[in-house]
Amino acid sequence: MTTTHILSAFDRDLEGIQAMVMRMGGLVEAAILDAAEALETRDEELAQRVRAGDKAIDALEEQINAECARVIAIRAPAASDLRTVLTVMKIAANLERCGDYAKNLAKRSMVLAQMTALPGVTGSVRRMAKQVTLLLKDGLDAYIARDARMAEDVRQRDQDVDQMYNALFRELLTHMMEDPRNITPAMHLHFIAKNIERVGDHATAVAEQVIYLVTGAVPGDARPKVDSTTTGPNA
Amino acid sequence: MNDMRLTERVVTDTAKMTARGVQVHYGTNHALKDVDVDILDKTVTAFIGPSGCGKSTFLRCLNRMNDTVASARVTGKIEMDGQDIYDPRVDPVQLRAKVGMVFQKPNPFPKSIYDNVAYGPKIHGLARGKAELDEIVETSLKKAALWNEVKDRLASPGTGLSGGQQQRLCIARAVATSPEVLLMDEPCSALDPIATAQIEELIDELRAQFSVVIVTHSMQQAARVSQRTAFFHLGYLVEYGETGKIFTNPNDPRTESYITGRIG
Repeated sequence: MTTTHILSAFDRDLEGIQAMVMRMGGLVEAAILDAAEALETRDEELAQRVRAGDKAIDALEEQINAECARVIAIRAPAASDLRTVLTVMKIAANLERCGDYAKNLAKRSMVLAQMTALPGVTGSVRRMAKQVTLLLKDGLDAYIARDARMAEDVRQRDQDVDQMYNALFRELLTHMMEDPRNITPAMHLHFIAKNIERVGDHATAVAEQVIYLVTGAVPGDARPKVDSTTTGPNA
Repeated sequence: MNDMRLTERVVTDTAKMTARGVQVHYGTNHALKDVDVDILDKTVTAFIGPSGCGKSTFLRCLNRMNDTVASARVTGKIEMDGQDIYDPRVDPVQLRAKVGMVFQKPNPFPKSIYDNVAYGPKIHGLARGKAELDEIVETSLKKAALWNEVKDRLASPGTGLSGGQQQRLCIARAVATSPEVLLMDEPCSALDPIATAQIEELIDELRAQFSVVIVTHSMQQAARVSQRTAFFHLGYLVEYGETGKIFTNPNDPRTESYITGRIG
């Protein structure tokens, strides 16, 4: 829908809520990238900033929920307006979880900064973080553009993240088998990798909300999964 | 059958009235263009659309109220239970006993509450004696959720009731002839929110017994009370479907524009 409401305040309300979600998305993307950078460069100050920054993300989610409740109560949105409000709330919840994962990554990076580095792993984590933030960004861009095809593309691309996670899983396992002293950092790094992989799932959930917003139906087909760590013993 | 409200009674699929290719002209004005609709049995159907879209015109076709407008010309076919209601052998007065109507402004007769309700059954000869008539009046007033408020003053004038009570009296009057379809043309637009809620509750109860067709300008009301919604625009029936679907994900962009309050 490109035309505006007869009641222009309704348009301002909806635009306001969507702007908040975009701001939230920007903060989450930055938090994930910063946390991954802090991990690779062992920058504890940056990690601390990411941990403190999660409060702003949580506050935005609360504000979005309150605004959505107000719009539902006052404007009684219907059809695409209703779907806009519903999807905004769900996307905000997804972003909030991603923010928590970034915070956790930052926390673990501070622990890892005190240990011997496992060669190459933090670089892979950072590449994976970059990939998921791209998914998040494209999911949110698809949202603003009301572009279901772009959202479907995000859904499909999540398997790249899954593949990166599988590779990292094996790499960490190798490090642990080589030397038991690697187990503590490898476990931390594995949680980090798993959390980033979860961010990819949330990006997929955002993309599914976009598809619901545009078409009125949630995609029914199962999306491709390549997480072999939960299905095969060969990991 | 595809009602999204889980707690609702099951919606039937049997058509009570079917309209095919209905056209209405008022003189040179083509008010209704080729409308096809099935009004389902024991279902509330809401007609929505901007002023002048033809929804009231179509409603008035369903009990031949347009016969009373000299310039109106109705073509096409409207059947009730398979019988053409525009057949010359059909008596419009008998038809209107089966297809009752409630109007926008409460319009009780300047008679007692009792006589308002008893009038229809009397002229249609539905009661064989005073006792039977008393019973029809009582059950009709009960169906209209008005009995408890007026049972002690049935002889006082109907016009002395409050607006909401008057409207429920008109519903009791329409119900008294045991209609099979009840048409309501903006029945709540002159009422306060409490009286509106009472009428809406009543509509939901009435649909256990017959079909209700309601024209309303309040989209929220259409969403609340109906199981089927028809959207009219510029004389065309744009979209007709399950109410939950119409209000969450309509097919036609004109429906979308109208229900979301955009310029369409």
